[in-house]
Amino acid sequence: MSRYLLYPIWILLVVCSCSHQRERPLIGISFETLQTEYWVASVEAVKAECIKNGYDFVVAIANGDANRQFEQINNFISLGVAGIVIAPKDSHTVIPIIKAANRANIPIAVYNRVPASNLGDYVTVVADNLEISKNTVTYMCELAEKSGKKHQALIVLGDLGDINAVNRRAGFNQAVAAFPETIEVVAEVPSEWNQEKALAGVTNALQANPDISFIFTSSDFLFPAIISAMKTADKYYPIGHEKHVIFGGFDGDAMAYRLLQEKYLDADGVQDVFYECEASVQAVIKKLNGEPVESTIIDPGFVIHQDNLEQMAGKMWGASF
Amino acid sequence: MTIVDNIRTYLVKNPIVGVCLLYYLLMALMVPGFFSANNSWNLVYNFIPLLILAVGQTFVILTAGIDLSITSIIAVSSVVGGYLMSSDVGLVDGSKWSMLLGIGGMLSVGVIIGLINGISVAKLKMPAFMVTLTSLMFFSGFAIWITQSQNIYNLPALLVDAPYHSFLGLPLPVYLAVLVFTSCYLLLNKTLLGEWVYAVGTNIKTSWISGINIPLTLVSVYVISGVCASLASLIYTARLETGSPVMGQNVLLDVIGAVIIGGTSLFGGRGKLQWTAAGALLMTMLDNSLNLVGMSFFLIMMVKGAIILLTALYNQLGSKSLTHA
Repeated sequence: MSRYLLYPIWILLVVCSCSHQRERPLIGISFETLQTEYWVASVEAVKAECIKNGYDFVVAIANGDANRQFEQINNFISLGVAGIVIAPKDSHTVIPIIKAANRANIPIAVYNRVPASNLGDYVTVVADNLEISKNTVTYMCELAEKSGKKHQALIVLGDLGDINAVNRRAGFNQAVAAFPETIEVVAEVPSEWNQEKALAGVTNALQANPDISFIFTSSDFLFPAIISAMKTADKYYPIGHEKHVIFGGFDGDAMAYRLLQEKYLDADGVQDVFYECEASVQAVIKKLNGEPVESTIIDPGFVIHQDNLEQMAGKMWGASF
Repeated sequence: MTIVDNIRTYLVKNPIVGVCLLYYLLMALMVPGFFSANNSWNLVYNFIPLLILAVGQTFVILTAGIDLSITSIIAVSSVVGGYLMSSDVGLVDGSKWSMLLGIGGMLSVGVIIGLINGISVAKLKMPAFMVTLTSLMFFSGFAIWITQSQNIYNLPALLVDAPYHSFLGLPLPVYLAVLVFTSCYLLLNKTLLGEWVYAVGTNIKTSWISGINIPLTLVSVYVISGVCASLASLIYTARLETGSPVMGQNVLLDVIGAVIIGGTSLFGGRGKLQWTAAGALLMTMLDNSLNLVGMSFFLIMMVKGAIILLTALYNQLGSKSLTHA
């Protein structure tokens, strides 16, 4: 009796599963987080690029959990996606993910983080973090030099397990090293990409070094924490005010744009989200078509500041957010 | 009695198994790609660590306790294993025994933290919720402190390839899951300790009067939970090829959810490991199917939370009706 019940069910399942044929190929989009505007804007830009090129998409967010991201990518593979765009949790845990995609012969583009190993077949799309931060901090140093005073500097670091954070710190260090007479770095505040840690660290640093007059953050999303600490230390004033702290950031988010407009922010290193997302999807499509693709696509980015704000705002993703 | 009658009786006694089957059938019909060989293996791979964690947690919940510290045990085990096995850190670099030592170290972490939890609950009479919550905080912080938030890489190839090796057509993690589940099943259903676990959870005063060794029972269940967490950590560490101080930090809801959905009473004394296995399978299928339809992570969390809440409510109403009967 049981076989008479089971067989039709199994047959129905097979028929139904086979009947799910998609009209358009599918791209899996996996992001480790949507914690900041940058990631939200990126996901939206990748989706838009998929639609523009005639692809459907499926999105999975890992909420900062590398293990969950690994499982989600395996789900994509089961679903039969044509390609994958991934913003990984970090540069090492993406390696088994790349291996899984390679085993399934699915092209994969790694967005925004360089994998720690160059084994496997993948395309990396990443901003030139070192150059962008170096150019941003150099602009800030030139402002400091023009003031004719010596400035004590503070940098808010990201998670130093993240190669982007490492390169942004390196860019900062290279820039300030060229201005030894003007800039003295007195504080490096580790944030681990965490607002609370940034707030506590900057508050402590400003108490320990009340003469700090130059602050650079490795990511714009830490602005609220830094500004809160600056207000507590009576250091948050617009450009032109005698107590103004030379202030710069990295990313190009909506808050950076607003701070530039309100003249609290001197300069910001901008990642070209639209370019990077377009390049990621295009890399997957080219791989699918068997066309050659460079293994690493670099976004040169740009520096936006008070002098070029009107001219460059159109390219700043945060300005249209 | 026909086979159909047997199945019907089994499903009435084990409703969660029926729910699992029904959910599987519905998802196979509705979700593209769900009913495929690839996805079935995917379900198995995702199910195994959750099953191992939930089996350990079931022992604790059967005694009317709870172990919130499992995510910190996963993290500390991963880090300790990483330090002992990684060729980067080099504590026993180059030694052919490094992997065995690493696995031994990881299991020791589970035993030690389980002992701390168990002794605090059994001997110091501290509430399980408070003990394991503070263990969670302390050992999560400890894992981050000793690594300075850095992941540990370059683990032995034998370890990172293990999840993909098969024996007699089945991947190695399947054997680990079968071993853990069978051992725990026998322990719970065929030994005196198993009887004590149910007795302590049902009524601790009666158990004491009956001469049951309550401290031994309580310490044992927390050690079992700790060892299971370490074994799950071994699988997570191998498949991510990384020793991480934040490994498994989001898994607690799934584990407790699997046990509750399985029908184990939060008040202790009632539950079965096979129910927990079905609960873990349902949680895995929920994650997998909702992910396949493209539901956002946050909605998946809401759905899972709602299902766990409804199941807990159902169990509560069920136990009340039993009391009034």
